[in-house]
Amino acid sequence: MKLTRRNFLAWAGLSAIGAVACDVIQDEELSLQSPRSLPEDLVKGRDNWYATLGRQATDGEGVIVRVMEGRAKKIQGNPKYPVNQGKQSVRSEVGLQAMYHPDRLAGPMLRTGPRGSGQYRSIQWEPEALDILRRELRARSQGMVLITEPLRGTLGMIADRFATSLGGRHLGFEALDDTTYRAAIKGVFDQDRLPDFDIGNANYVISFGADFLSTWKGSTRLSTAYGEFRQGNRRQTQGSRGYLVHVDPRFSMTAANADEWLPIRPGMEGYLALSLAYVIISEGMQAEGVDVDALTNGQGAAALAAFAPENVASLLGIPEKLHEGKSAAEKIRDLANNFAHHGPSIALGGDSAGAHTNGQFNLMAIYALNYLVGSAGSGGGVRFNPASPMAMLPDAARVGSTADWATVANSIRSGETRLVLVHDANPVHGLPDSLGFRGALDRDNQEELFVVSFSSFLDETTVMADLILPDRAFLEDWGDDIPEPGPGYQVIGMQQPVVNPLSDLDPRSFGDILLSMAQEIGQDSELPWANVEEALKACTEGLFAAGRGTSSQTASADELWNLMLRQGGWWDEGATGPTPSAPNGLLNNIAAQGREPGYAGSGDFYLLPFSHNTLLDGRHAHIPWMQGVPDPVTTVTWQTWVELNSHTAEEMELREGDVVSVATDTGSITGVLYPNPALPPNVVAVPLGQGRTSGSDYATGGDPRESSNVLDILSPSHMTENGSLAWAGHRASVRATGASLKVAKFEGIFPAREIGHTAGEAVIRVTNH
Amino acid sequence: MRPSANIIPLAVVGLVVTGIVGFLVAILFISWFSNPPFGLGNAPAQPIAFPHTIHAGTVEEGGVGISCEFCHRNVTEGAAATVPAVEQCVFCHQQINPENLMAETRAEQDQMQLVVDKFNDNDPINWERVHRVPDHVRFVHEAHIRFLTEGQPRTVAMPIGDGQPRQLPLTNQQACSVCHGDVAQMKEVQPTPGQSLKMGTCVDCHRELNVGTDCTICHK
Repeated sequence: MKLTRRNFLAWAGLSAIGAVACDVIQDEELSLQSPRSLPEDLVKGRDNWYATLGRQATDGEGVIVRVMEGRAKKIQGNPKYPVNQGKQSVRSEVGLQAMYHPDRLAGPMLRTGPRGSGQYRSIQWEPEALDILRRELRARSQGMVLITEPLRGTLGMIADRFATSLGGRHLGFEALDDTTYRAAIKGVFDQDRLPDFDIGNANYVISFGADFLSTWKGSTRLSTAYGEFRQGNRRQTQGSRGYLVHVDPRFSMTAANADEWLPIRPGMEGYLALSLAYVIISEGMQAEGVDVDALTNGQGAAALAAFAPENVASLLGIPEKLHEGKSAAEKIRDLANNFAHHGPSIALGGDSAGAHTNGQFNLMAIYALNYLVGSAGSGGGVRFNPASPMAMLPDAARVGSTADWATVANSIRSGETRLVLVHDANPVHGLPDSLGFRGALDRDNQEELFVVSFSSFLDETTVMADLILPDRAFLEDWGDDIPEPGPGYQVIGMQQPVVNPLSDLDPRSFGDILLSMAQEIGQDSELPWANVEEALKACTEGLFAAGRGTSSQTASADELWNLMLRQGGWWDEGATGPTPSAPNGLLNNIAAQGREPGYAGSGDFYLLPFSHNTLLDGRHAHIPWMQGVPDPVTTVTWQTWVELNSHTAEEMELREGDVVSVATDTGSITGVLYPNPALPPNVVAVPLGQGRTSGSDYATGGDPRESSNVLDILSPSHMTENGSLAWAGHRASVRATGASLKVAKFEGIFPAREIGHTAGEAVIRVTNH
Repeated sequence: MRPSANIIPLAVVGLVVTGIVGFLVAILFISWFSNPPFGLGNAPAQPIAFPHTIHAGTVEEGGVGISCEFCHRNVTEGAAATVPAVEQCVFCHQQINPENLMAETRAEQDQMQLVVDKFNDNDPINWERVHRVPDHVRFVHEAHIRFLTEGQPRTVAMPIGDGQPRQLPLTNQQACSVCHGDVAQMKEVQPTPGQSLKMGTCVDCHRELNVGTDCTICHK
């Protein structure tokens, strides 16, 4: 057919009509689909950073949180927050995993099976859950115990007032409590608050037992200061570098960073400290202006004659190889000389040094050294923290000692306490099994005991609860904190909800529940606020009225509130702590308390439990990131390992990965052997953290042979002078079980070996003598 | 010759037919070069009455002022602007105020409940497409947004919309409205007169802005 203009138009018209008639445009092209879920590979949107508090770090860190489209994505240190100044611990960072954890409890639950069985049914908040709580509070609040994590600030105040106004008591729980440390600070400096250490401006630091670069009080702040101490700007301009001596029977993270590590017989730290004091005084090396006569009641060095190096050197057990060719006494004199002459100097102590029957003596002796070198209250020394800027807000957490918990367990057993409220604390796991806290709670009859847990996860204590009322995660809730230890001036950190809970979760704020219950029960005179946010606003008005610090930058309380939310809190750098003066006869008094530590049990080794770098006492064991972070010294993950000197292990024909039993007079546990060339041959060290039996699979799912709680084999009657557990003062035996497991560690498969063959080259030396 | 008496009805019929044909031709003519008149090119009603006025409208106008790219997340990144996932709607509506799903009236709450139901039932939402270019055209949103929102301040002639010269760079929202109209003012989005997204419009702009007009720039 010839293609004419007429034909072309005809065919074109027909084609168009045919196209429309035959529906050649697919339906899909005329529609657009919103998929149900966001594509994983399409992450768009604008991020916002909100300042709040990282409550997982118990010392109180200021953090900023990256939030995109209602979801928190990243937590990092708040550069404006005075305590951690932009740095953060791993414990803060993993707040995200705690919040988005698959095992987080979705809503209120009521026990249906035997106590401890973990059998619950879900109930509604209104009216059932809150009605039950209200009913139990009305019926049996007299004598009740409210157990929380260490709480300060507004929530601490609410918990204190709530418990006392209803006829009960509030106690904070920490497995390795700080009662002895606090008593020592009170005894030496007459301070009720924990001090700060100006390590960044110091030249010489002696640390006794305190693993301040890993898990000790204020470790994030002190780690930052340690960076300054070693290689900060000031160091580089002055060409000097701080010198760190660490005295510790265990090769810890801090020991690994120290210029000198002095392994000492456990519990003898006080003897060494007083020996240093003796040398300083006897050789007149004390700082200018220090009144030695006042410190010693006019006796001078004679007051400490019993601790002269020649008298105590043989008791300290410092290996001869570390004396650098000198006698032990000469080594002590050298140490005293350097400490006195290379100031500013700091002596600090804690952790295992205070966890002995003579723990308070040890710590007091250590801290008293700061008076002799003029470091108490001065730059590059020990800085003291002022009282709370708001009198109603507690600035120190009220933490129970082991003796307190024994009393609580007895009062539950006797029926004096019939109601136990628990929030974010796990005393069943964190107290020695033989103290019997689990047994005290283990009653099926609700008439005798009713337990309410406000925890977001099942754990050994929560599983004993009759009623579970899950709290909001810290990123979803209001709050504040007075950090402890503080930075040397007044600080209140602000916590604000940066996201809402996921839609399938229905938690409620613990603080809000306490306030609403108090008011419904008629205790509103003590707790008049409708919720925590309102209490915080009332506090802000008080701060604004004070007109100083952050308040001076604002024109109204509302403006101050906004500024506090924006920068993460309120602070006043001018409101510094006091400079204490030494009590008369301080060194005489300490010397009079001096005694060697007692050891519970009779094994071949000193048993040294220690706080796990990330899991701490086991409170973070349900968080997989925490389990997966390798221990900084051994690189072991996910397991309970037993550290033994490598030569000792060889002599006992034990190899890495062998499942060994560690037994005290109280009981035994198992763990995988990790031969450590840097551990003294008479020491066995075991980390806390594992051995969880209830809750998330991440905490409980391992082989029981490689997951143990070393606290269970400690004797609860073995206490410090203050009723704290003397957890570092036990003896244990180690034996093979015949089984062997792979050690989950990051370091290479090669065993540690000596590096360098001359003294100048020696980096690490295998020790067994 | 005197006209037959029959011619009058014939003329009337002829005029009517001519009028109708002319009308149809006019519609076809307009549709060919611009948007079909009388709403003939409009998309059918959407399955959920999503009001751009509230979401994209300014706070002063009673909206919440959400930026376009917050929901059309790929518009500054790739070829397709993309429509948001149901999950993204629920982010705000179920999280910020789960009590009333952030809807004020009962009718709005009912519509919002449809979205939540879709999310809970794991169902997508099939929207009616409003703006469409043929299959054989490759249009990259990202390059156009970048041209309109970045670079030094300059005035350019843009033969689209009201045809007035525009002062660049624009905000993202202004850039979107160059082709899609002021969506923030539309309770129901439909094509806007003068912004037909026809080839002529594309070519006019490309010529005016001295951008290439080679076939393969746009045609696959």
